[in-house]
Amino acid sequence: MRKKVYCTHCHGEMSVAHSALSSVCPHCNKRLVLENFKIKTYHAVREFATTGDVVVEPRGRLVANVRAANLIVDGEVRGAIVARERVSIHKHGTVKGDIDAPLLAIEAGAMLDGFLRIGGAAPVAIVRKKPAARKRVAAKK
Amino acid sequence: MGDSGADYPTTIGADASFTGKLKFEKGARLLGAVDGEITTSGDLLVDKGGKLAGQARAGNIRVNGEVTAKLESAGKIQLGASARLEGDVQAAKLEVAEGAVLIGHCSIGVKSSGNGVKTASAPVEQVTPRREKSTVRK
Repeated sequence: MRKKVYCTHCHGEMSVAHSALSSVCPHCNKRLVLENFKIKTYHAVREFATTGDVVVEPRGRLVANVRAANLIVDGEVRGAIVARERVSIHKHGTVKGDIDAPLLAIEAGAMLDGFLRIGGAAPVAIVRKKPAARKRVAAKK
Repeated sequence: MGDSGADYPTTIGADASFTGKLKFEKGARLLGAVDGEITTSGDLLVDKGGKLAGQARAGNIRVNGEVTAKLESAGKIQLGASARLEGDVQAAKLEVAEGAVLIGHCSIGVKSSGNGVKTASAPVEQVTPRREKSTVRK
């Protein structure tokens, strides 16, 4: 069984095995993480990118620029968020940072502070065109 | 979801356009175009086809039309499926329906004073200034 995912770097479409944990994008040749994550404690990195879902649990605190398909916040997230599908901020969730996603769900009691870009067109794939094959010219005698 | 006349006693019709400051005691429903400032302690509804530019302050704000304004609400801001909002949003609660477009800075649930300064949740302790030591040697 295979599933369709989109590269977090170039937004190119690719097909991967359903149980695959990582892959390489055939368009930009960058490594892709395909797993779903649960953040239960403090986790700080420069960039946290996956084609799967990220769930920040109530005691979780994620300090990073996040790229994911779906992001569910029950704890705290600090950093820019780019979601392919949906961002959900639950009752006790806190988000401080910009959000770029097609859908946003905020429960009463959630805290949100940042620049939002919700709805609009989906990101366009940045795909490099393969160079045209060179034609062999027969040598003139 | 019916919008009763009791919730929005004032209606600005679809053929009306207004430029300037508007102030209502109770709710208002906007079907036309308003460019300016709207202030109401009741609810504000920018219905489908309505256009609002400038600034709006209300108890609760519902948007189904086009808004290019700064929205401030003491209660809830709701964006319907046909809503298009470009501007800053400040409210206690925010509801975004599927299909709504929202572009702008949002402060939801963050307490702030009237001049935009965010207040800390805990009171700030007063600091007693230290006495400066004299540098003159006797």
